[in-house]
Amino acid sequence: MPTFSTAEWNGMRLHVLPTRQFKTFSIAMYIGIPLKEETVTTTALIPHVLRRGNERYPETKQFRERLDDLYGAGFGFDILKRGNYQIVILRMDIVNDAFVSGESESLLDAALQFLSDTVCRPVLEQGAFRESYVTSEKETLRKRIEAIVNNKIQYAAERCVAEMCRDEPYRLLPLGRVQDLEGIDAAGLYAAYQDLLQRASIDLYVVGDTTMEAVQPLIKGKFALAGRSSAVPYAPLREERRNVEEREVVEQMDVKQGKLNMGLRTNVTYADDAYPAALVYNGILGGFPHSKLFIHVREKASLAYYASSRFDGHKGLLMIQTGIEIANKEKAEEIIRKQLEDMKHGVISDDELSKTKAMIINSLRENDDSAFEQIGYHFNSVLSGKKRSKQELIETIQAMDLEQVVGVAQNVMLDTVYFLRDRGGAS
Amino acid sequence: MKQLRYDHVQETLYYEQLDNGLELYVLPKPGFSKTYATFTTHYGSIDNHFQIEGDEPVQVPDGIAHFLEHKMFEEPDGDVFEKFSAKGASANAFTSFDRTTYLFSATDHVEDNLITLLNFVQHPYFTEASVNKEKGIIGQEINMYQDNPDWRLYYGLLDALFQKHPVRIDIAGTIESISKITPETLYKCHEAFYHPSNMMVFVVGSVEPERISELVKANQSAKSYERQGEIKRFYEREPDAVMELRKVTKLPVALPKCLIGFKEVAETPPGATAIHKEAASRIMLDILFSPSSESYQSLYEEGVITDNFGLEYNLYPDIAYSAVGGDTKDPDLLVEKLKAFIAKYVEQGVSEEAFERSKRKKIGGLLRMMNSPETIGNEYTKFKFRGMDWFELLPAYEALTLNDVNQRIREHFDMNRMSVSIVTSN
Repeated sequence: MPTFSTAEWNGMRLHVLPTRQFKTFSIAMYIGIPLKEETVTTTALIPHVLRRGNERYPETKQFRERLDDLYGAGFGFDILKRGNYQIVILRMDIVNDAFVSGESESLLDAALQFLSDTVCRPVLEQGAFRESYVTSEKETLRKRIEAIVNNKIQYAAERCVAEMCRDEPYRLLPLGRVQDLEGIDAAGLYAAYQDLLQRASIDLYVVGDTTMEAVQPLIKGKFALAGRSSAVPYAPLREERRNVEEREVVEQMDVKQGKLNMGLRTNVTYADDAYPAALVYNGILGGFPHSKLFIHVREKASLAYYASSRFDGHKGLLMIQTGIEIANKEKAEEIIRKQLEDMKHGVISDDELSKTKAMIINSLRENDDSAFEQIGYHFNSVLSGKKRSKQELIETIQAMDLEQVVGVAQNVMLDTVYFLRDRGGAS
Repeated sequence: MKQLRYDHVQETLYYEQLDNGLELYVLPKPGFSKTYATFTTHYGSIDNHFQIEGDEPVQVPDGIAHFLEHKMFEEPDGDVFEKFSAKGASANAFTSFDRTTYLFSATDHVEDNLITLLNFVQHPYFTEASVNKEKGIIGQEINMYQDNPDWRLYYGLLDALFQKHPVRIDIAGTIESISKITPETLYKCHEAFYHPSNMMVFVVGSVEPERISELVKANQSAKSYERQGEIKRFYEREPDAVMELRKVTKLPVALPKCLIGFKEVAETPPGATAIHKEAASRIMLDILFSPSSESYQSLYEEGVITDNFGLEYNLYPDIAYSAVGGDTKDPDLLVEKLKAFIAKYVEQGVSEEAFERSKRKKIGGLLRMMNSPETIGNEYTKFKFRGMDWFELLPAYEALTLNDVNQRIREHFDMNRMSVSIVTSN
């Protein structure tokens, strides 16, 4: 199995995974800073403006045409929150030259050139971002934030986290806040970008039929980020154990289906030794179609189409979600609470445990078949400071016994019950 | 097994038709950890009126193909998901207009999982109680989609475009239509459409083709399938005119959503004609409306659209349609602007430069898709049932000329066959 090799250059970390498995080169740049009210919106807006053009291709149409000319190279970005950080990910995906006849240009070199131009040499006017790009991208970002309500499953999930973490930065959306947008101008945003590039932790990933030795010279002339002397490490998450008081929040909207979301604190995060057991806990509870939530809420009670749980290992939150008939809320909640109690008391069969282990191990192995998922797995260790190879994680899960899972269950606390319902009936 | 070599993408596909009619495809992917396997019947939501040679014609409730898909996972000895989980396989299924696919992916116990897949799909087991229980679950699935504006927008467009063709019917049916489903109707549909001669298996990943072939053959020859007569599917002839010019759905959304679509009602012969039409249509829409197009950039600049704007083309043997649109502050303005762009391109055609660029982009896009075992299996199967070979799409792009695309533009964009679908809060 090939592995990533890492080198530091000009204040960023470069990670290269040589593999012939794919017909493409995959490139990702992770730019992370602490999640804070003061910077969340500018950080989210920056990649929106960067994707409008760079010095070499200043008009957006030229910028997009260049990508098309590079055999329809993929270019995109994501803005996430992970633990106490807000992370901007820029991604590129380009065909390996070997598959296109008569190509004289090195496509990996061309892609790295494009990405570095976009990050290091944006379109400037009087020492600031181009005004018209900032104005229109502010509008785009505003619409994106407002559009979260369109997808009720996502909306309910975001609202549940926001209610649960209402006194922590984690309540913030990674896309930022609408009310900040008005106060942002081109000069201010460019200053925020300079500040971001100075302070951020930056990781550049390349996966494909190449090597660290081949990639390094391609990077050197291109990614000139002024003023960075050493790579900035991520600070490990230190979560205080909190006293949790259960809380219920009901919100009304014109919906047909009710969304019942429950937020729990596991008190386990990625760097902890209990992390593998927390993965298994989540798997038994609601990660799969053999899990307790699916079996009891959907298959046995016929209350829902989806009923599952998700473990956010960088923050230590466990989120349960289901979509139900509004009148069935009490019934569904009771069934879910019963499953949580059963987990605490170790009412878990050998069969549930072994199936869950097999499914988690399978998904870890499947992750090797996607370049970007391999990058994501590697980044977990960069972010948390905890090196845990996939093989090691698989072996730990394989050897796990019920006690370890129950150990996690004892520390799982229900924090918030969120219900999105229609406008009828009692509120 | 027969080998089909696709040198331009450095892939070899192994193929064989079994005695009972089942088609088996295996694509080895060296270096991959997982194997992705699908078992698909050429049967979807549009097949609600049919006749098996020698039998009476049957009309079944809307949404039954999807209902059947759900119910197949129940066996007398329990839920099939449990069997897959025990062998570390992630299983699923989906129903579309013209096919129903059962699938798993696994990094271990591939052979055991493949046998489970073959067996459960070929073994119907329905009881009154379990069918009624499923009505609650699917009822919630229908409600979930009713609250989803993108889904309502898309199906609203099909509902407006088509007068007769069953693509206008919701894949899951309605709470009313599924209430009529019984074990007997489910058995009838299974018997008609799950015969091996109407199905195909596609296995892609870290597998040895001959080994898979032996396994599947041994499994199938142990089951006694009689030769089945031809299945006649009745799709009413779709007239040229659309059902509705403009369909508006009210739902809480932050910004209105708007799609325009054009339908085609001419039959497309399978094979070379179909793949050529598919390739030309995709390039046409890409040049006209992708993010590097003149229309996208000017509409974005004017604030008429957001970056949530997309396009697609779907070709079936008897119909085809396009869909273009997304979020907009002003649906009527967007429609006017899109119509103006279309009129211009119908009149002037597209440039050689834009054509060559789009071709490169489409070829690169196909190569990128071939990194994913799931994409390969699903696309190949989808194309196959529509009379096309997915691996021939790349050479079809290469062979295309500017003239082909300009001709396609003139054929496709007939304003008499256009509808608009809008989702808005007010």
